[in-house]
Amino acid sequence: METANGTAAAQNGTPNENGDYKLKFCTVCASNNNRSMEAHLRLSQANYPVISFGTGSLVRLPGPTITQPNVYQFNKTSYDSMYKELEAKDPRLYRNNGILNMLGRNRGVKWGPERWQDWPVGVPRLQHTSDRGSEGTEGGVVDVVFTCEERCWDAVIDDLLNRGSPLNRPVHVINIEIKDNHEEAHIGGQGILDLANSLNAAAAEERGAIGPAAFDSGSAAARASFDERVPEIIAAWQERWPNLPSTWTLAWF
Amino acid sequence: MATSSALSVPDQIRQLNDARKLVLGDVKYYPSVVRGILPIIGPTAPIELRRWVTDFLAEAFATPALPNSEKETMQPYVLTTLESLIEHEGDAQVLRNVIQTAASIYPLAMRWIINNSYDTVTWERMVSIKQKILQLWDIVPPTVRICCIKFAQRVVLAQSIASGAEHRYGGGLDVSLDKVPPNHQTLDPRTLEAEASGLLDRMLSILQGNNDGLLVDATLNCLSIMVRTRPATSSRILNALLNFNPLQAANSPLTPKTKVMIKSMEKTARLLLIHLSKRDPHNPIVPRIQQHVEGTMRMVAELFDSAGRKRPLEPKPQDGYDAKRPRIEASQIQIPPLGPGPHSLADVFTLIGNDGLKFFDVSQVPPSLVARIAVNTLSRLDAQVLAKAVDGVRGRLETLNNSPPAELNPNTAPLGVDEDEDDYEPDFYQAEDTEQILNKLDSAPAPAVAEPRISLDDTLGLRSFSLPQPQQLTPEMALNAGNGTVTRVLEMMKSLDEPATKKQKAGFNRLAASSESRDSWMTILARLATRSSAGLEEISVKAEADDSSRPSSLNNGIREILYNYIMEDFRTHIDVAVSWLCEEWYNDKVLQKAGGDHPLYYEKCTLRLIDGFLPYLRPQDKVLTRFLSEIPELNRAILSRVKHMCRDPSVTQLALTSLLYLVIMRPPIKEAALDTVQDIWTDYEDARSMAGRYLTKYRPLFLENATNRENNDSPTPAPAGAAITT
Repeated sequence: METANGTAAAQNGTPNENGDYKLKFCTVCASNNNRSMEAHLRLSQANYPVISFGTGSLVRLPGPTITQPNVYQFNKTSYDSMYKELEAKDPRLYRNNGILNMLGRNRGVKWGPERWQDWPVGVPRLQHTSDRGSEGTEGGVVDVVFTCEERCWDAVIDDLLNRGSPLNRPVHVINIEIKDNHEEAHIGGQGILDLANSLNAAAAEERGAIGPAAFDSGSAAARASFDERVPEIIAAWQERWPNLPSTWTLAWF
Repeated sequence: MATSSALSVPDQIRQLNDARKLVLGDVKYYPSVVRGILPIIGPTAPIELRRWVTDFLAEAFATPALPNSEKETMQPYVLTTLESLIEHEGDAQVLRNVIQTAASIYPLAMRWIINNSYDTVTWERMVSIKQKILQLWDIVPPTVRICCIKFAQRVVLAQSIASGAEHRYGGGLDVSLDKVPPNHQTLDPRTLEAEASGLLDRMLSILQGNNDGLLVDATLNCLSIMVRTRPATSSRILNALLNFNPLQAANSPLTPKTKVMIKSMEKTARLLLIHLSKRDPHNPIVPRIQQHVEGTMRMVAELFDSAGRKRPLEPKPQDGYDAKRPRIEASQIQIPPLGPGPHSLADVFTLIGNDGLKFFDVSQVPPSLVARIAVNTLSRLDAQVLAKAVDGVRGRLETLNNSPPAELNPNTAPLGVDEDEDDYEPDFYQAEDTEQILNKLDSAPAPAVAEPRISLDDTLGLRSFSLPQPQQLTPEMALNAGNGTVTRVLEMMKSLDEPATKKQKAGFNRLAASSESRDSWMTILARLATRSSAGLEEISVKAEADDSSRPSSLNNGIREILYNYIMEDFRTHIDVAVSWLCEEWYNDKVLQKAGGDHPLYYEKCTLRLIDGFLPYLRPQDKVLTRFLSEIPELNRAILSRVKHMCRDPSVTQLALTSLLYLVIMRPPIKEAALDTVQDIWTDYEDARSMAGRYLTKYRPLFLENATNRENNDSPTPAPAGAAITT
C-alpha cells in the first residue's frame, strides 16, 4: 500500500495549490467519527471544500464490551462533550483503544457528527465557518460524495432517491470500502485524497479547457468532460489502490 | 451591483461573490440580486461571467431556502436571459447551468401559467427553451445530456397526473397535470400528457442498448420519484427496469473502465429496484423484481469472475474433417425399415447400408478416441438429420414391439445346456444390482448384446448409473496411500521458502500447524512418525530388531522418508534431524512412563543418522558439534561412533573438538566423552597428539600412566589397536 501511495503521489503531482478551481467533496461513514472524519481532515488539509456525515441512526462508539457501545445523538452531541464524557468514564480504556485520540482529532475538525439523512441539501451552510474545509461549501451542495462503506453508499443513494432530486444537480457518489479501524481509516483517507486529487485535476482541466487559453488549441470540443472521465479516473485509481474496492454512480440532489 | 463594465473580470467576480454571500446569508435579497446581475451576461459577456451567473441562477432556483412563491415571481424575467443563452451558447458548463435552471423553473413556470393564463408570453418563452433543450439532447456531450435527461424528467413530472399520495415534496415536484384546469386557455392537458408520455419513452430508451454508465445512471437515478408519485409512469418504468441489462456494455472488451461502468449500472439499477419494492412491498411485481435483481447480480459476478480466469482449452478443430465429407442433408438421409427376421440390437440402430462397416469392432478403438469422435460428430450434426434418424429408429422399435414374438424353430433353438454365460441365468444375476448389470451390458461390445434383450420391455430413457463397489481396502493399500500423502507433504514442504527470521521455538508444546512454514510441516511429520501409533506397537516376541523383517508400518515409512530427507543434505537439514530426534526421545519417554513393553526408537534413529552422515563429514563440518550438543540424549554407543570417525585422520580434529565441547557444555556426558577421548588416544596413533592435549588438561593421570606403561611395555598398546587392523 505504501508503494501504491508513492506512485499515486507521483502521478497526481501537486494536489491543488496551483489551480483555483476546486471540486466540493463530502465524506460519509456510519457514525461520522472515524473514516469520514479522517478523510474530511485529509481533504481539508489539501484545501478542498469538504463536509462530512454519518448514515447511521445514532453515533455508536466502542464501549467496554461489544454489547455496551457508547451511543450519542447525531447533530446534538459535540465531539468535545463525547471526549469529556469518555475521559471521565475510563481514561485508560478510551485512550488505549484510540477513541480519545480520535475524538480529540475530530473536535479540531468540526463541532459534532452530522447525520446524512438530516442534511438539507442546498440550504446555505454559513454557521459552519469554523469547520475545517468549510470554505467553498457555503452553498450547501457538493460535487462528489465519498462513502466509506457499501451500506453507507446504499443509504446515501436510497436517501437521494427518496428526496426525489428536487435540485436537478448531478452528484457523483463513490464508495471506497474501508474497514472501520484506525489503521484502515488512515490508509483509506490517503486513498480518498488521491482520488480527490485525480478528480479535481480532471475538473480543473475541463474548466480551463474552454477558457480563453484553449480557443487556439481547437480540441476543446473533442476533449471529454469531467463527468465522462469519472469512470476511467476511478478505474485508474482502482489499479493504484487494489485493496480499496470502489463503486460509483451519478445521482441527483 | 457588479454591473459596471469598467471593472476587470476578476474584480467583477469578486463583487459577485460578495453578492452571493449576501443572499446566502439572507434569501430575501435573492430577487433584487438576480434582477441586478442579469444584465451583465449577454451571449457576448466573458465566459467566466456567463459561467458564474448561470451557476448562480441554477443555485437560486434550486435552493430550498428560497420559497417557491419567490422563485415563481422571479422566473418570468430570468427566462429571457435563459432563452438567449440556450440559443447561442457553446460552452458546456454554461449549458449545464442553464438547463439545470430551466429544469428547476419548468414546474414553476407551469404553475405560473395555470394561475396567470393571460401571461402567454412567459409560457411561450418556457416552451421555446424546452424545445431547444430537447433538440440539444442528442447533439450535446454526455455531461450536458444528463442535464437534458433531468430536464425531461421534470417535464414528465409536471405533465403527468399525480397520485396525490405524496405531497410533502418541495422544489416544484408537486406541480402536476391534475393542477391544470380542463378549460385552461393556453394549456391543453391531453397534449401535455402526450408529450410527457413521449419524453418518458425517450428517457427509458436510454436503458436499452446503451453502454454509457454516466447516461444510464443519470436516468436510473431520476426514475424513483416518477414511479412513486406519477402512477401512469410506473408500470412502463418498471418494465423498462426489468428489461434493463447492465451487461450490454460487456460486449465490448472488458477494460477497467467498462468494469467500473457495468458494476455501477448494475448496482444503481439494483438499488433503485430494491428502493421501489421497499416502498411498495405489496405490489405483485415485487417477486419478479427480486428474481431479476438476483439474476443480474449473479450474471455480473460471473462476468467479473470469468474475466479473471483463462479460457478453457478448446479441442483442436479437426482440420479437413469437413472438407472430406459431403454434407448430409436431412432430405438425403433415408432410414429403411427393418426387414423380416430376427434382428440384433445393432441392426436396429444401423442407419447405413454399408455391410463392411457392420463387422467393424468399435471396441478396438481406444475409448478416448471414440468419445472424441462422438462429441465432434454430435456437435456438428444437423439437428434435422438427427431428428430424422431418431424418428427412424423409433419407428423400427415400434414395429418390433408390435410384431408377434418370433416362433422358436425347434431345430435351431438353443438347448440351454451347453450355452455359454451369455445366457440368462436368474440365479447368477440375482447377486448383482440390476443397474450394475445394465452398466455391464452397456460396456459390452455390441455383438455380444444378446438378442433376448430386444424384447424392449424397458423404456429407452436414461437409467440411473451406480458405480460398482470399490475394491476392498487392504492394510497395504492404506499404508501405500498414507506414504503417498506423506511424500506429497514432504514435496510441498521442500518447495516452501524458509522464513527469513527464525522464531523462537516453544518446545514440545508448540502447535505443529500454527503456521504454513517448512518448520511446522516438519513438526507434523515428525509427530506423525512418533506419536501416531504410540502405544499400539508391542515388541515382537522374536525381537528381531532388523527393520526389514518387520511388517512395515506407517510410522516407519515416515521415519524412512524423514531419514532420506535429512540425508539429502544433512548439513542444512540438521535442524530437522535434531527436532525429529527430540520428538523420538520425547515419545520414548512418554511410552516408558506409561509402562508396557514398547519398542524404543530414539537410540536406533540416532545411530542410524549418525552412521549415515559420518562417512561424509569434512573437517570443517561444524554440524557434528551442533548435532551432538543438541540431540536430547547421548550415550556411549553414540560416542563410540564418534570415536570410529578418527579412522580418518582429517576429521580427527573435528571429532575431538566436538567431544571437548560436550565435556565443557554437557556435564552429564562429560565422563563418557572423556573416556571416548581416552579411547581415541589409545586406539589411534595419528590422533594422539591432539587427544593428548585435551587429556593433559582433563585426565593428566591417565596420560601419565599410559605414557609410563608405553615406555615400559611393548610398543603395541591396547587391544583395540587390533580392531583397527581388521
